[in-house]
Amino acid sequence: MRLAEITGAIQTAAGRVPRGVYAVIGFAIAAVFPLLNVAGVVETAWLRVGVVSLLFVMLSLGLNIVMGETGLLNLGYIAFFAFGAYTTALLSSPKFELQWPFLAVVVLSTLIAMVAGFVIGLPTLRLRGDYLAIVTLAFGEIVRLTIVNLQGLTNGPNGITGIYPPRLLGAEALEAAGSSGAAAWLVVDKPIEYYYLVLACVIVTSVLLSNLKNSRVGRAWNALREDELAAVATGITASRAKLLSVVLSAGIAGFAGSLFAYYSNVISPESFLFMQSVIVVCMVVLGGMGSIPGVIIGAIVLQALPQIIRQAAGAARSDFEVYRMLIFGILIVVMVIFRPEGLLPDKLWRREAREVDPRELEKTRQSLFDLEEGEKDLEV
Amino acid sequence: MGAILELQGVSMSFGGLKAVDGLSFDVNEGEIVSIIGPNGSGKTTTFNVISGLYEPDAGDILLKGESVAGLRPDQVHDKGISRTFQSLRLFTNMSVLENVLVGMHSITNAGVIASMLRLPSVRREEKRMYDKAQELLGMFPGRFSGPRQSQPAYSLSYANRRRLEIARALASDPALLLLDEPVAGMNPAESHEVMEQIKMLREKGYTILMIEHDMHVVEGVSDRVIAMDHGVKIAEGSYDEVANDPQVVEAYLGKRAAADATA
Ligand SMILES: Nc1ncnc2c1ncn2[C@@H]1O[C@H](COP(=O)(O)OP(=O)(O)OP(=O)(O)O)[C@@H](O)[C@H]1O
Ligand SMILES: [Mg+2]
Repeated sequence: MRLAEITGAIQTAAGRVPRGVYAVIGFAIAAVFPLLNVAGVVETAWLRVGVVSLLFVMLSLGLNIVMGETGLLNLGYIAFFAFGAYTTALLSSPKFELQWPFLAVVVLSTLIAMVAGFVIGLPTLRLRGDYLAIVTLAFGEIVRLTIVNLQGLTNGPNGITGIYPPRLLGAEALEAAGSSGAAAWLVVDKPIEYYYLVLACVIVTSVLLSNLKNSRVGRAWNALREDELAAVATGITASRAKLLSVVLSAGIAGFAGSLFAYYSNVISPESFLFMQSVIVVCMVVLGGMGSIPGVIIGAIVLQALPQIIRQAAGAARSDFEVYRMLIFGILIVVMVIFRPEGLLPDKLWRREAREVDPRELEKTRQSLFDLEEGEKDLEV
Repeated sequence: MGAILELQGVSMSFGGLKAVDGLSFDVNEGEIVSIIGPNGSGKTTTFNVISGLYEPDAGDILLKGESVAGLRPDQVHDKGISRTFQSLRLFTNMSVLENVLVGMHSITNAGVIASMLRLPSVRREEKRMYDKAQELLGMFPGRFSGPRQSQPAYSLSYANRRRLEIARALASDPALLLLDEPVAGMNPAESHEVMEQIKMLREKGYTILMIEHDMHVVEGVSDRVIAMDHGVKIAEGSYDEVANDPQVVEAYLGKRAAADATA
């Protein structure tokens, strides 16, 4: 067998497995990973890498809605992450001596980010391409500079410290009942606990978003991306659909930001630099715009891989950050040239990127063949 | 049978050019009306004004007695006017089936949260949409059967793209269907087939306003024909009346030739 035949056979075999199976396998691996730490095989530092990677997975899932589905670029996406993180920090830290319940804080952080999404989304509805890129970039920077300068609220560059850990539903009740040992179980403060909390959120988010993708709403977004004029002439209200996608993606970033604030305990404007927005864009592009498994892989590769390389290169390389961006740049250029549709592309974008998709061509040929065969049967 | 669509003195200019100039006509329920006219006579612009892509400079457009002039295209669509495009505007990377499903957007209502949770109501609606799509695509026997429905729209032949545009436009059960040159680029056999399908749509009770250059098709399906030139209606009536109208002949052939033809 020639190599092409072998890879072809593998591809057809892989194509027969329902996508859900891959999702279950992937999430199962993610769920088992911390047990390696429990067993002492990997260090706790790797759990932390895992938590941050999962937070970036969440961000990529959110950005993918606007970039991949609706086709709107956003270069200031990290601002929504900041809205969520600061809302959480203010409501659950010594800053104002508040400790709101976890659920209320997360919901409010998400909502505030959504409001921010609405505020930036509304005036930019008519913009596209370069103009949208510039406006969203400026928005991201305005938000960051406001955080730096709004000292009274945000402590400026010093950031907000001592964010209380999340206390899941029921912790208060248990404490009141006098069983603080049981209550401690419901306080999320160890890396492994954060890991599972964020993983659960990622799984729920990706299931909800993949349902949405194959629905009336998702199809309307795709239609707008494909041909806005035809879409509005087909009854889709462009402003409402676009605003919905911007607000939803902002909400997911706010949600991730809230979890990030809890996890990192300390937040400061440094976490919300323009570069972070660019990195999330890279994750979506690398993984495959519009593809949920793709952007998950993209986020993990770009977040975890550098850590692995850093480890391999030796922790002494403090200048690693510089190389990291260089490697990102090269990786993206290589991708755009050789595999513009991303690592695990969505079918719409694969079609967009390649004039003729060999796999689809083969399928068409096969189906036409089947049809002809069928017609012959009828004649007989 | 009352008028579904009424145009009352509709005008639309691009800078100094009056593309549509004081145009008035009616389309009655259950009728097929064709608009003919030389290239650049303002036919497509008329469609664009009716469907809300342009706002008319003057005049009014009534759908079932209610003004739709100045509404956004999606609002006009919701009121019941659906259209196809002369230049073909399918969602090219989406599949045949998805194109038709998008066409049902305005008659379905699954919202964002219900869709995320894939509630039973959403599943039922999706099932209904799927069945309806099968019915619509089934109008063109053998063209969109089975596996072809999952092919991207760009992989279709030119004639099939035109058919798919019609199926997408019909997906919202429009009160009025606007077809902009539905057989352009088709060979005689194909255009004959589409003509039969347009006749079938009339049987089903659709009201159609059609722009067409193919006189065989115009003659075959039209209850009434409107001829335009330079944005103005120059003739209206049965196919024979309009085809033999001296002004129409002149618009197509030029003054001298028209004189020769009548001589
Ligand atoms: N968007 C536009 N901007 C400027 N001029 C336009 C625009 N659209 C149409 N026109 C002009 O308006 C006039 C009418 O064009 P229209 O497309 O309505 O013609 P038509 O009757 O559909 O012709 P055809 O048979 O070639 O499709 C033409 O002179 C055309 O150049
Ligand atoms: Mg035209």
